Amino acid sequence: MNHDQLKELLPLEALGILEGEEARALAAHRADGCDECEAELRGFRETLAAMALSAAGEAPADLIWERLERRLDTIAADSTTPSERAGGRGVAVAARRGELRRWRVSAAIAAGVALLMTVVADRSARQLVATRTAADAQIAALANRTRERDVQLIERDQELTSLREQLATASQMTRAVLAPDFHMIKLQPMPPAPDAAGLVAMSASRGRCVVEVAGLPIPPPAKTYELWWIGSKSGPVRAALFNPGPHGGATVTPGMPPAGETILASAVTLEPAGGMDKPTGAMYLKGSP
Amino acid sequence: MPKTPASTLPDQALVHAIAGGDQEALRTLNQRYGQALAAVAGRILDDKADAEEVAADVLWQVWRQAVVFDPARGSVGAWLMTLVRSRAIDRLRARNVRLRPLTGSSSVAEVPDATFDLQAAQTRNLVAAALKNLGENERAVLELAYYSDLSQSAIAAKTGLPLGTVKSRIRSALIKLKEALRGSGDQGAS
Repeated sequence: MNHDQLKELLPLEALGILEGEEARALAAHRADGCDECEAELRGFRETLAAMALSAAGEAPADLIWERLERRLDTIAADSTTPSERAGGRGVAVAARRGELRRWRVSAAIAAGVALLMTVVADRSARQLVATRTAADAQIAALANRTRERDVQLIERDQELTSLREQLATASQMTRAVLAPDFHMIKLQPMPPAPDAAGLVAMSASRGRCVVEVAGLPIPPPAKTYELWWIGSKSGPVRAALFNPGPHGGATVTPGMPPAGETILASAVTLEPAGGMDKPTGAMYLKGSP
Repeated sequence: MPKTPASTLPDQALVHAIAGGDQEALRTLNQRYGQALAAVAGRILDDKADAEEVAADVLWQVWRQAVVFDPARGSVGAWLMTLVRSRAIDRLRARNVRLRPLTGSSSVAEVPDATFDLQAAQTRNLVAAALKNLGENERAVLELAYYSDLSQSAIAAKTGLPLGTVKSRIRSALIKLKEALRGSGDQGAS
């Protein structure tokens, strides 16, 4: 299949319904790195998102927030102090004692009618309270275990997603490194981040480029890092936006530098969220081929 | 310097704030997208409670994974819609229920004047108009492809259309929709 035929498959790919040979052919084409198809695909996905966002909904955001707040509370509850937890148990015990007293009062009234009936009622009340207390404890324990399982499940799901992304990136890096025209640029730290480092792996024949950075500080609100190609003819050309993870690391798969351009250097700067057309902020990493 | 209220932040900055543990930013993101998330999940699952749960799942995932959001790969809205569709379809597969009938689709949200983002509201209106301009056949097949867990072959079997017709209708509908939105300068899920 040629490029134009593959391009016709992009709407179906955006919907995730491509099958068989068509799916394999398009996957191979994308793996080879086709900026035009990637941009087109992004456009179709944005279009589908816009369609979905226009759908009428019945659920008020408040109802969703209530569900979300319960999960946030679960996490917060895990960090409560022992004294807070003990205080909570004290309230529950006091409530149950109050209930016991009410039963005892009932038993005392019954005692006015017949002493024998009082004894029976009192015993029954004690048994009932004991049974209810045990059941309450079991329900609370089960609820706690369910919440813990939910949190674990979500965390496993997130780990799986993260591992898939890492695997996909590693595959791209491997393809770039194995290319006959592979070359790399080592990014050196600049004064704002003396512990930062980076590596650009690139293959023009495969149209593939992967950038790995580490040791970058978390950018302040409304700021993001921007990667640049600095060409001999066009100067700085924007390559990618990214935010590092909790440990300051990130793997970025930018577009290739402009065709025919000689790359003099690559750099990372801190820019306003959304990025800029030309560098305006402090430079954090820079390297030359 | 006083903190900027979350409600005035653009989507990308909201996600950044969420990555920093800002619950108010998460609440704002829910106000902007919660209803749409539940609507998409509801169309796929045909169950209001499940849809709310899936919407909450998605926002919970954002809360835990905001740092992995890459603006170079698409907008926040597109990211959220991808997550909710994927999660809703996963849940559908898990419970193996029957799909919602094709009929009665395409209700479009009324967009109030005072929304968080006038541009987003304009885009929604554009989508509504563009969907109305699609032929009923094109729109129905496109929506079936988006809001179901059916492959293109399964869509052909379900609708009784030849596979080639299914493909061409989906392609044509999505291209028309994309072209209609291009005029807005931003495809909405900003």
